[in-house]
Amino acid sequence: MQQHTILLVTIIIMACVALPFLFAASAAKDKGPQVGWLGYGAQRSLVAAMLVVGVAVTGISLAVWPHSVSAGPARQVVNVTGHQWYWEIEDVRLVTGSPVVFNVHTEDVNHGLGVYDADFRLIVQIQAMPGYLNQVQYTFEKPGKYRILCMEFCGVAHHDMTSEFTVSAAKS
Amino acid sequence: MANVATTNNQSKEADALSSVALLLAGAVFLLMMIAGLLMRSAQGKLIDLDPTLFYQLMTAHGAGMVGAAALSGAAIMWLFLGRHVSLNKLAFKAFLALFLLGVVLILYSIFVGGFGGGWTFLYPLPAHSGGVWETAAAATFLVGLLLVGAGFLVLYFEMGRAILVRYGNLSQALAWPLVFRGKMETVPPPTIVASTVIVIFNSVGTVVGAATLAISLINLFVPTFEIDALLAKNMIYFFGHVFINASIYMAVIGVYEILPEYTGRPWKVSRPFAIGWSAVLLFVLAVYPHHLLQDMVMPPWMLVMGQVVSYLSGLPILAVTAFAMLGYVSGSGMKWDLASALLFLGVFGWSVGVVPAIIDGIISINKVMHNTLWVPGHFHTYLLVGEVAMSFGVMAWIVRSKQDVALFSGLQRAVFWTYVVGALGFAMVFLTSGAASVPRRWAVHAPEWIMQDRIATLLGIVTLLSAVYFVTRFGSRLASGERK
Repeated sequence: MQQHTILLVTIIIMACVALPFLFAASAAKDKGPQVGWLGYGAQRSLVAAMLVVGVAVTGISLAVWPHSVSAGPARQVVNVTGHQWYWEIEDVRLVTGSPVVFNVHTEDVNHGLGVYDADFRLIVQIQAMPGYLNQVQYTFEKPGKYRILCMEFCGVAHHDMTSEFTVSAAKS
Repeated sequence: MANVATTNNQSKEADALSSVALLLAGAVFLLMMIAGLLMRSAQGKLIDLDPTLFYQLMTAHGAGMVGAAALSGAAIMWLFLGRHVSLNKLAFKAFLALFLLGVVLILYSIFVGGFGGGWTFLYPLPAHSGGVWETAAAATFLVGLLLVGAGFLVLYFEMGRAILVRYGNLSQALAWPLVFRGKMETVPPPTIVASTVIVIFNSVGTVVGAATLAISLINLFVPTFEIDALLAKNMIYFFGHVFINASIYMAVIGVYEILPEYTGRPWKVSRPFAIGWSAVLLFVLAVYPHHLLQDMVMPPWMLVMGQVVSYLSGLPILAVTAFAMLGYVSGSGMKWDLASALLFLGVFGWSVGVVPAIIDGIISINKVMHNTLWVPGHFHTYLLVGEVAMSFGVMAWIVRSKQDVALFSGLQRAVFWTYVVGALGFAMVFLTSGAASVPRRWAVHAPEWIMQDRIATLLGIVTLLSAVYFVTRFGSRLASGERK
């Protein structure tokens, strides 16, 4: 899902949460019974509804494991190592259309590999952790330059820890 | 009768100590808001700030805000728990002394020693400064945090002791007979149920935090003593999550105790309330892996647990506390003043802040939102508009006067709404920037991001000015003895 869609959905849900607060606040001054939709039965329905939505969202969002990495022969592999404060990227020719697996290491502290597209939009990320190999897979659809930004605070030049790589169009 | 008299005296002591702690927390809130403003204006290129200083301010802002939120929460909990159980004030004094000593060390390590490794001291960064700070500075920071943690443990153990003395066992204090059998002879008040849950989970959280600090300290001086980076990360985020969440749960006790004075409807421990708080105990301890969703070496079941519990955590907040509050308020005939409005706002901020947190807790969404400004977006919503608003509300209640309801039509109402717009707007800019992929904790921003930083700076100034009003009003009324 695109980030702006995520933002829009979030704002809509926040507004839905805010509405009952506005209603209750405006009904505070009047002396009388509480408004009907705030009763005990409604509370149980709210919990039930939230559980149903939760099960649905969980099922849909985890139907495909978000960290899965393909083992097929078509995949391209690139090793990336984080250092304070630069990225060392293996010089591999990457092409569009087949999955790229980033093998991410670090030589010192925690870093975060964030891959940004030509529109400066974060398209995928994974942490880099001392003593561990983290992997992330992404299939590039558009050829061009992609930027790497550090996504985990790693010291005084964290914001300078950027790099870039190129993805070429696959031969048809 | 003797017992009642003792309880009344204890309450007065608790009242005075809590007021001092709240004033101190208020002052730290203001100072750290200034630090936050400096960072946002530097990102917006409105001022020139050396990155070294930026990351020092960022470290101070994180540690200071978490500390002040926890301090204000603890003060509120102490104040109202003292209404129901007999607390030993020495424990609170020891807590304050340890807290202050810790703060001095933390400030010294940052602004004299140059430590700028972030308040989360993510292992092994404190030992890898790249020449910016010495080992001693990092050690001083860690010892400072350790002292603050030790102070909280003293406080929690005293609160736990007092609850056990009064209620006999944890099951009674947690209202478990009500949870499991649907009835109990004497149902404890909401403050007891909430305090018991908080004492249990934040004692566990703080002990784990202290253990992490201790092993990080050893590693600083004996580098061959290496810690598994994944284990350290798990421990740090477990502690960090539990500790900052405890601050909100502590502050909400103020809502349970104060709002009934306005609505005339006592806040009762119903079965959903008791179940909700027992669920909080479980959820707060189990949810922390949602901070590690981009560590794919974590066992997958833990990441799934992080996502699922992230969602479930919203249930007790929205369906129990927020829903009940709306029910109590609606049709109550209550009159708004600064205190009640801020407390109401606090529950609102907490509730809406849960939404972007849950969204970010979905692993596939976290893939493009983690460590962007989305993250400070959600926690500023439920802290700045939530916990901090609740704390300002309790401050306003402590120094309330009979004229406050009438006064709320003028300047106070204007300042209140300025705070609402400023704080909510400030947090929303973070969320918008997160959706625009702006990474968090970057001292220098790309030209594409600067406009958002400048809007945030303006909203931050507005928020700060309102906060200055709330804190100075509290301080000056306390000083002039205008209390209740």
